[in-house]
Amino acid sequence: MNTQPVILETRKIVKQFPKVLANSDVSIQLHQGEILALLGENGAGKSTLMNILYGLYQPSSGEIYLHGKAVNFRSPREAIENGLGMVHQHFMLVENLTVTENIILGSEPGRGLTIDYAAARRQVKELSERYSLKVNPDSRIEDLSVGLQQRVEILKALYRKASVLILDEPTAVLTPQEVEGFFTVARRLRDDGVSIIIITHKLEEVKAISDRVYILRRGKVAGMRETSTVSKEELATLMVGREVVLTVHRTPHQRGQKPVFELKNLSVQGERGGEALRDVSLSVHPGEVLGIAGVDGNGQTELAEAIMGLRSVAAGKIIHKGELVTGLNTKKRIHRGIGCVPSDRHRHGLVLPMTISENIAMGLHRDKPNARFFSLDYPAMNSSANALIKRFDIRAPGPLTAAEQLSGGNQQKVILAREISRKPSFLLVNQPTRGLDVGAIEYIHSEILRMRDADAGVLLISLELEEIFSLADRILVLYEGQIVKELKPENSSEKEVGLYMMGGGP
Amino acid sequence: MSSEHSAQMKTPGKFSSIPRISAIVLAVAGSIFYLAGQFAGAVLILLAGGLYLAGLRLEQGDGGIREAMARWKKILAAPLSGALIAIVIGGIIMLLTGYNPIKAYSALFYGGLVKNWHISVINAAPLIFTGLSVAFAFKAGLFNIGAEGQYYIGAMAAVWLGLILKLPGIISLILVFAFAAALSAAWNLIPALLKVKTGAHEVITTMMLAHTARYLSPIFIRAFGGNPSTSTHPYVTDEILPNNFLPVFKTLFPNANYRLHTGILISIATAFFIQYLLTKTRTGFEIRAIGQNKEAARAQGISIGLNVFRALLIAGALAGLAGVNQVTGLDHKMFENLHANYGWNGISVALLAGGHPIGVVFTSLIWGILDSGGQYMARTTQTPNAIVEIVKGITLFLVVARYISFYLKRYWKRWNMSGGK
Repeated sequence: MNTQPVILETRKIVKQFPKVLANSDVSIQLHQGEILALLGENGAGKSTLMNILYGLYQPSSGEIYLHGKAVNFRSPREAIENGLGMVHQHFMLVENLTVTENIILGSEPGRGLTIDYAAARRQVKELSERYSLKVNPDSRIEDLSVGLQQRVEILKALYRKASVLILDEPTAVLTPQEVEGFFTVARRLRDDGVSIIIITHKLEEVKAISDRVYILRRGKVAGMRETSTVSKEELATLMVGREVVLTVHRTPHQRGQKPVFELKNLSVQGERGGEALRDVSLSVHPGEVLGIAGVDGNGQTELAEAIMGLRSVAAGKIIHKGELVTGLNTKKRIHRGIGCVPSDRHRHGLVLPMTISENIAMGLHRDKPNARFFSLDYPAMNSSANALIKRFDIRAPGPLTAAEQLSGGNQQKVILAREISRKPSFLLVNQPTRGLDVGAIEYIHSEILRMRDADAGVLLISLELEEIFSLADRILVLYEGQIVKELKPENSSEKEVGLYMMGGGP
Repeated sequence: MSSEHSAQMKTPGKFSSIPRISAIVLAVAGSIFYLAGQFAGAVLILLAGGLYLAGLRLEQGDGGIREAMARWKKILAAPLSGALIAIVIGGIIMLLTGYNPIKAYSALFYGGLVKNWHISVINAAPLIFTGLSVAFAFKAGLFNIGAEGQYYIGAMAAVWLGLILKLPGIISLILVFAFAAALSAAWNLIPALLKVKTGAHEVITTMMLAHTARYLSPIFIRAFGGNPSTSTHPYVTDEILPNNFLPVFKTLFPNANYRLHTGILISIATAFFIQYLLTKTRTGFEIRAIGQNKEAARAQGISIGLNVFRALLIAGALAGLAGVNQVTGLDHKMFENLHANYGWNGISVALLAGGHPIGVVFTSLIWGILDSGGQYMARTTQTPNAIVEIVKGITLFLVVARYISFYLKRYWKRWNMSGGK
């Protein structure tokens, strides 16, 4: 048990939104100099609670105590003045300003209208040395990696003398190596007496970094555990409210002899010119999952777009079932049985204002049974959507519900339902579980494996190594638009793949 | 039509089609009577409404009626409250400037709804066409701001063919309509091509072509008539051949105004056709999909370029029909310097209707009523006609800026949360 004094405490916080009870009777305590994890699925009320602490929302009832005194922050500014700092999931940095300028923004040193840049720069330098948060105070934000940008955010909070640091999903955007770096920083801050709250839905993160963990479920505290004494399985059960299979069981499956899908020496131009993909060759066999590992922005988007015919190919061949498809448009590729679960379900996956049944029909909306002559056959579309809603357990009132009214997990299920129901011989799955919680991830993983067991060829692009390791039969590492390594998951480790992802390797 | 009904049906098999069909027949007949100035038609419309509600109740019980009411409330709340607030503000302005708002407004509505109802209807018909044009392009995420230009092209095409085409009865008229629609659709070919090939924004290109078309018209008019000595207008084309005139209501209802032509019926039928096209056909589906998320539509193999072409061409044809409607129905010739601005006003009615084709019919009628009523008001009470433009402007501002629906929603929420107190 932590014997340090309680620095921040909420007592019976209730937050009622017009339609949802986001927090109900939430009481948590944060001790001096500890790392506290707040674990919960999307919509469990974690962010609401933190926004209340940070003064962005007012609680409907309940109290907040800071250093034993009741406080009521009416704005983030008040929270900051009282020593609270928050690092949002999406960084709030001005891209074309320098590190120093970003850090002092809003509380610039100096007199009157002038800013004392020299003093500011010195203070930032001191701060970054004291906490070993190495970053060049003169670099522009746009030139920094995501991991370094996060450091700037943390420095920004420390510059404002934060003694309590709230971090919202801090590792969501980091590479495995950057995650390690972040953990080191967090521990050092803790040892210097900073109290930290980490909001997360990742079990590994809780286990790796926190001292204690509160589990939130449906707005209520489902439990509090000392991290050292709790297992991942127990955490998952508390979080979801039922037993969860953390890693889907991948049974051995004989892959087909002839590849169903091949890329031969594929080169693709990037958005800003230059080659985004260089000489990429790969083959996917029926009944296997081929995983593409890589840090975001190393050609994944271009690879997916080239495969679906959304981006033109500079050189090389795309072959499906032994036939050249390089020159075919997207429509023809879909009709050939090439399916795609895109990485951005809002931008590329769904037309959000349209109904579930329209979204499922889209792509094959000119064919039977979705269309009759020039008209769409709505009754037929609705009934097949209805069947898929049942089969994929999509939580929606009916096929006429607009896609935008669904939760992220259910939206992803709609896309998956669309693609899988077309029985593709080759399925491209791009970051299928981005931003989803444990329960939905479990389901989507098992569906992907079911496709593989039904002898479809699956190409899985993912930024999560864990996902690749639990699903893929073979792993290709994509680095700067090139395949740098092929690995077997059983003979490799996340650490090794991570190394290749950074352009290293033995 | 049958697929439309069954799609919306929640409990299949139970529906009795007799009340629905008779309601539709009654509503259509009543509307024709009413539009022709036979106000007894209102009885038929009310009867149809009652029949519809009865049928709904038979099918879905009281819940169905409540649901329908809620739906209508949601659709009508914003425009109606916007218009109401605008009328109040207009009244205040009149008070401040020394006019009698009650007298002025009674004249306005008496003129627009009763005395000069036929002018309201005549005003509404071209607005419905241009409004549909803008609304249709909206659905594809495009802004056909140059409907005015396509309107001029449609009018010119109608005059040109109307002067020479002499075929029996309706065939001639159909050809004039088709030709004008095709030509004004072709007028939008250039913006569509530029949009697809170079990404040039249609707001710029259609707008530029609108001015081009407008300044083309004097040249055209001089080429096809324009005898200053025989007309009150100095420049005007010859009159088109009588077999290319749209029928007037007077042939059916002897007491109808002699100028009231049947263009309004064609425009309303077109609105229903556009609604069907958008919601029930494959083409409409693709157009809506690219309008709402072109990236996702493209990822499912829907061609953005093809649908931009379709949307702009159909929009052009619709705006062109407004021109044909004026030439064949009302003027039978084309005047120079006649600033009717139906193209620009089409943007207003489309915005006010929230881009809904059937909504455009109603907003166009309202605009038509305000225009004709405003003229009557100015004539009889000496209140400046400008007040009507102010009321129109404020209504549009309030509705389009969504201020009203925003505040209504907030108020409604608070009311609900406090348990209806």
